[in-house]
Amino acid sequence: MITDSTAAFFEELGRRGHEPLLGKVTGSVRFEVVDGERTERWLVTIDKGTILVSRGKGAPDCVLRADKACFDRIAAGELNAVAAVLRGELSVEGDLRLVVRVQRLFPGPPAGRADRRAAGYARRQS
Amino acid sequence: MSDGLVKILDGNTFVVSDARGDIEASRTDPTGLFSFDTRFLSRWVLTVNGERLNPLSVDDLQYFETRFFLVPGTGTVYIDAKLSVIRQRAVGNGFHEELTILNHADEPADLKIRLDAGCDFADLFEVKDALEKKGTYSSRVEDGKLILAYDRGAFSRATAISASEPARVDKNGLTFKVRIEPHGEWSTRLHVVTRQLGAGQAREEIEDPKASRLRMRRNLERWIDEAPRLECDWEPLKATYRRSLVDLAALRFSPLIAGGHSLPAAGLPWFMTMFGRDSIFTSLQALPFAPELAATTLRALGDLQGVRSDDFRDEDPGRILHEMRYGEMTAFEERPHSPYYGSVDATPLYVVLLDEYERWTGNRALVRELEVEARAALDWIDEYADLQGTGYIWYKRRNEKTGLENQCWKDSWDSISFRDGRLPGFPRATCELQGYAYDAKLRGARLARLVWKDTALANRLEKEAADLKRRFNVDFWVEDGEYFALALDPDGNKVDALASNNGHLLWSGIVDKSKAKALARHLLSPRLFSGWGVRTLAEGEARYNPIGYHVGTVWPFDNSFIAWGLRRYGFKEEAAVIAAGILDAAQFFAGRLPEAFGGYERAQTMYPVQYPTACSPQAWSTGTPLLLLRTMLGLEPHGEHLVVDPALPSAVGHLELLDIPGRWGRIDAFGRGRVDVERSGR
Repeated sequence: MITDSTAAFFEELGRRGHEPLLGKVTGSVRFEVVDGERTERWLVTIDKGTILVSRGKGAPDCVLRADKACFDRIAAGELNAVAAVLRGELSVEGDLRLVVRVQRLFPGPPAGRADRRAAGYARRQS
Repeated sequence: MSDGLVKILDGNTFVVSDARGDIEASRTDPTGLFSFDTRFLSRWVLTVNGERLNPLSVDDLQYFETRFFLVPGTGTVYIDAKLSVIRQRAVGNGFHEELTILNHADEPADLKIRLDAGCDFADLFEVKDALEKKGTYSSRVEDGKLILAYDRGAFSRATAISASEPARVDKNGLTFKVRIEPHGEWSTRLHVVTRQLGAGQAREEIEDPKASRLRMRRNLERWIDEAPRLECDWEPLKATYRRSLVDLAALRFSPLIAGGHSLPAAGLPWFMTMFGRDSIFTSLQALPFAPELAATTLRALGDLQGVRSDDFRDEDPGRILHEMRYGEMTAFEERPHSPYYGSVDATPLYVVLLDEYERWTGNRALVRELEVEARAALDWIDEYADLQGTGYIWYKRRNEKTGLENQCWKDSWDSISFRDGRLPGFPRATCELQGYAYDAKLRGARLARLVWKDTALANRLEKEAADLKRRFNVDFWVEDGEYFALALDPDGNKVDALASNNGHLLWSGIVDKSKAKALARHLLSPRLFSGWGVRTLAEGEARYNPIGYHVGTVWPFDNSFIAWGLRRYGFKEEAAVIAAGILDAAQFFAGRLPEAFGGYERAQTMYPVQYPTACSPQAWSTGTPLLLLRTMLGLEPHGEHLVVDPALPSAVGHLELLDIPGRWGRIDAFGRGRVDVERSGR
């Protein structure tokens, strides 16, 4: 199955509007996804949790850069972004604190996606 | 150093060598130059005319620099040497070494000076477990530098070695051929620089070693100047205090995300990284002395708070990390430390630290900045930690291969047991976790009301806390012993051994007032109190062993929180007895308390028997004398003021702690020792 999880990720991110996990975060990040000769760029601007995705140029606070294969796996939750940085597959430049907070946007592993809320939570909700 | 090894460090970059300054590491041998959990030099051997050198002395100048005095020849018989060799080494981005050779003879000396260099680029985890490498090694000479490299896919680590004097550089080292005139000297500067974390992060500035040393010395002086000054009749306490401040300076670690600010790492040198639990406990201990450590800890741990459900990392939304690592095995997800989340106390303690920080400093901006993280931590307690649906924090790892089995501070395999020695199954709910949860809810409620202006949340948290306290005092209370069970097992049975955890319960405030007296009695009883401190497990329990890691040894850090707990319930004299015991013990370790020492009766051994551990100093042992000063002086923020209510052991005499930083600016505290610890102790 061929899916473009990178494109799907940014499309979904653009629809997300406000992300409570980044409620106190303001800044901009450029994602550079290298696909052979071509480099696709997305600019993600965050204003106190409100997310705007564009193809704009601008001068971002940090830049994240990876091969498409690597980024597809991150966007699908198959590769942890911090591990990818340590591995040298995802390069980061600029405000590292912003990078760490922005990686909250990436999904977790598919296997761990089931509702892990504890039994007590279910009990109190019922 | 007791193991004959010499260690210097700056943050998570450190060098461990033998007394000659040489490094000859085997795969499992913990010597070398390490940075970001990777070894960047495993061989570094100096010879003069083919001969190894013999150490005369080692000067530990500062924690980041040292000097070796050597003479040629390795014989045990004293040789009338005509040459002296001095290696002065300081850690920077890698390390610098100033190599000087003095010729004492009336003849010129023709010398071939050789430095053999090599590297296995082992991950710290590999050094412990002796695993095979999957990447490729290379060695080349480039612009007069020796480059040692290791590559595995895009993962690339390298070491660049160069010298200020002309050298013949080959793939295995550097050779200098020199003639030193009679009574003359020759010297060169060697630079060993690490290259890591992708091209974007590669820093290879070679700072002038003198400027680098000066910068680090000034930094240390400023650190000590900014801490409160201690004046005291009892000289050993002054020495212990000074040692603690210097060691805490060495333990500072500046994560890449913290913009140059520092937090306390867990231990030197193997645990120079972020640990949720250790960084939080140490920041709490140091709050009255260096409050900025707490701010950095809160920010860095908040930035890396869990947001996903990830079984490999034992990650949940809102969970505070256990340990962060940067090496190859973490990078390739052969270990889960990117970061690993397998602890259950760090998350409630995160809220405790945030509140305590505000109480001391009045910095509400940070409380506002971290509102999302603090709320997520509070939610985690109820939504993800209550594995049994009983209203308590439980733990059971989901990563069964490389995750941690025991996710509380007593994390060894046999630490949680019944009186008869049986071990409970999983999940487990240890008692102190419930205390931390109670405290986190009450403190969270205070912050919600005061800073986040969320009365509904505050009311809910207070109601939950009251309910938790009521249930806990029934479900965990061991009737026939009059103390709290160490844990509940999966069936809700009380794991009924008597342990030091009861002291942490006092600290948290979860204990009913009517039960506190019985706990204080136990903590000071001969079964728990050795004369130096409170044992982790009481004498008489089946698994008690005075040199068992968490089943009988005395942990200074544990005792500092027990003393705080005793004060919280008004047991001033009992707290002073514990402080006196631990501070007495510190004298036997030149002011540097070890992680743990034997639980032997004080009268029996007369000195505290050190438990052998790899790390020294350990952060929360280093923080112990600081928290004990706070508990002895009875320092407690009250509104905009600092309340001082001293209860000092009589041996301390007069004590002044000057310029205590906080929301009041700077303030002085005075006290006089009046507690007769001999009488109060038993």
